[in-house]
Amino acid sequence: MGTENVICLKSLTKYYRDVRAINGLDLEIHEGEIFGFLGPNGAGKTTTIRLLLGFIKPTLGSASIFDFDTFQDGVQVRKLVGYLPADIKLYGKMTGNQLLQYLSNLREGTDWDLVEELRERLETNLTQPIRSLSRGNKQKIGLIQAFMNRPELIIMDEPTSGLDPLIQQEFYKMLDDVKADGRTVFISSHNMQEVERVCDRVGIIRLGEIVAVDEIHDLKERSIHKFEIHFSGAVSTDTFRTVDGIQDIVVEDNIVLCTVLGKPDAFIKTASSFEILRLISHEPSLEDVFLSYYGGN
Amino acid sequence: MLRNMLLKELWDQRKPFLWWCLGFLVLIPVIISMYPSVRDMTEINIMMDNDLIRAFSGGVTDITSPVGYLNSQLYFLMVPLLFLIFGITQGSGAIAGEEESGTLDLLLSNPVSRSRVVLQKFSAIIVNMLVFACIVWLISITSVIAINMEISLIRIGEITFSVALLGILFASLAFLVGCVIGKRGMSVGITSAIGVLTYILYSLGPIVDRLEPLEVLSPFYYYFEADPLTNGLYLPHVLVLIIVILVLVVIAYAMFKHRDLGV
Repeated sequence: MGTENVICLKSLTKYYRDVRAINGLDLEIHEGEIFGFLGPNGAGKTTTIRLLLGFIKPTLGSASIFDFDTFQDGVQVRKLVGYLPADIKLYGKMTGNQLLQYLSNLREGTDWDLVEELRERLETNLTQPIRSLSRGNKQKIGLIQAFMNRPELIIMDEPTSGLDPLIQQEFYKMLDDVKADGRTVFISSHNMQEVERVCDRVGIIRLGEIVAVDEIHDLKERSIHKFEIHFSGAVSTDTFRTVDGIQDIVVEDNIVLCTVLGKPDAFIKTASSFEILRLISHEPSLEDVFLSYYGGN
Repeated sequence: MLRNMLLKELWDQRKPFLWWCLGFLVLIPVIISMYPSVRDMTEINIMMDNDLIRAFSGGVTDITSPVGYLNSQLYFLMVPLLFLIFGITQGSGAIAGEEESGTLDLLLSNPVSRSRVVLQKFSAIIVNMLVFACIVWLISITSVIAINMEISLIRIGEITFSVALLGILFASLAFLVGCVIGKRGMSVGITSAIGVLTYILYSLGPIVDRLEPLEVLSPFYYYFEADPLTNGLYLPHVLVLIIVILVLVVIAYAMFKHRDLGV
């Protein structure tokens, strides 16, 4: 992985009239990494991405890509960037082939062999008018146009929404190929599992501010689980209090509610010494992770 | 046809364009073919001898003459009105239409500058309007020849060019409003309102004393006042129209260049 910064945000701030969309983002994305930008809807992910493409102008601070200012030198930036917007809108009257032809005429370096390869891999229909295609099929055309010029940086806003699971897997392989070339990817997502699966590093944004930037494996170690266990008889809080990683334990007669940080191994082994009637485990929501680790900050 | 944004615009417009041509292919021959019956009705001029009627028929005094007939029946209201609608539709669709439908993001995610987008999209409007004007001219002269109307075919070309400039002017205004606020409906509404007001201003000018000095503010004045069908194009008025168009487009570009795009 290179150390050169591909994306560099400095105190990046955007207000829409008086509403603060993002506030003082500082972030560096390195060459060759796949970076996940994770946050709930409305956190400021799309605003950040629109600033990166030069669609909107920062209120304060700056954003640069390969040392070009994203608003002032937008054309230079966009020569090097492939982009997939959230909920992509395409020219409905065109077929996929016509659209890709048009977009390739607006920039240099379309690799038509790659287009053909991606069309097959994503099982994309490029011959029908786009307006007659389903959302997932439009999304595939959006993916092809983002990849087809082999850009140095690919920016994608919620890339897998609308794709069925098999195509999602194919998309992950496409990302592996890009990574193997040493190119850089910036993905926004609200899906933690997806980010864990594909990204090297993740930044978490909440209410317009970056609350954490971490390597993925660090984040995994910090994963949390919520358990609700119904035992056949009453258990005492003391039994679990000393177990590794236990947080917020509540015991009501024979029911234990708790949050476990990191691996749940020790907790499960302790619990298994009693007769368990029912075990409910909740995958943590993003909000839970935030509250658990960053809520205090 | 998809080599650049200009050609893509023309490609997008091909079907509506064809419908517009078909509309004129019906309208103009029908109106011109009725001329022989009007020519013989000299008493109609007595009916027309009324300020208000004259205000809305281009100040024509002899409707039975070829020039009077064409000016009052086609070039004072019908043709400019349709060119306005044609122009406003295109001007508002170019930027605001694409912004509202969400495809402007896709377009501008490519290495194209906003100035190139403005320039090519506006060029497409001009090309569309001029080609359309040529077709309208061809339809008009064919109809005129068919009934042996005694009128200069060149002069018909000149007034058609004048009305095309008027159409482009209102297209630029719609384009400008679209570039500033990014809403197609607003662009159509505001520009149409300005179109109607300036039309009324120009047509009522001769009979309402207070309005007369304001006539020069109406684009219709520069389109029609010099009577291009009789006298040919009047260069100062043509220049005013062209300069206003250029100013509107330059402002449109300046506003669009630094604006946040809508989602």
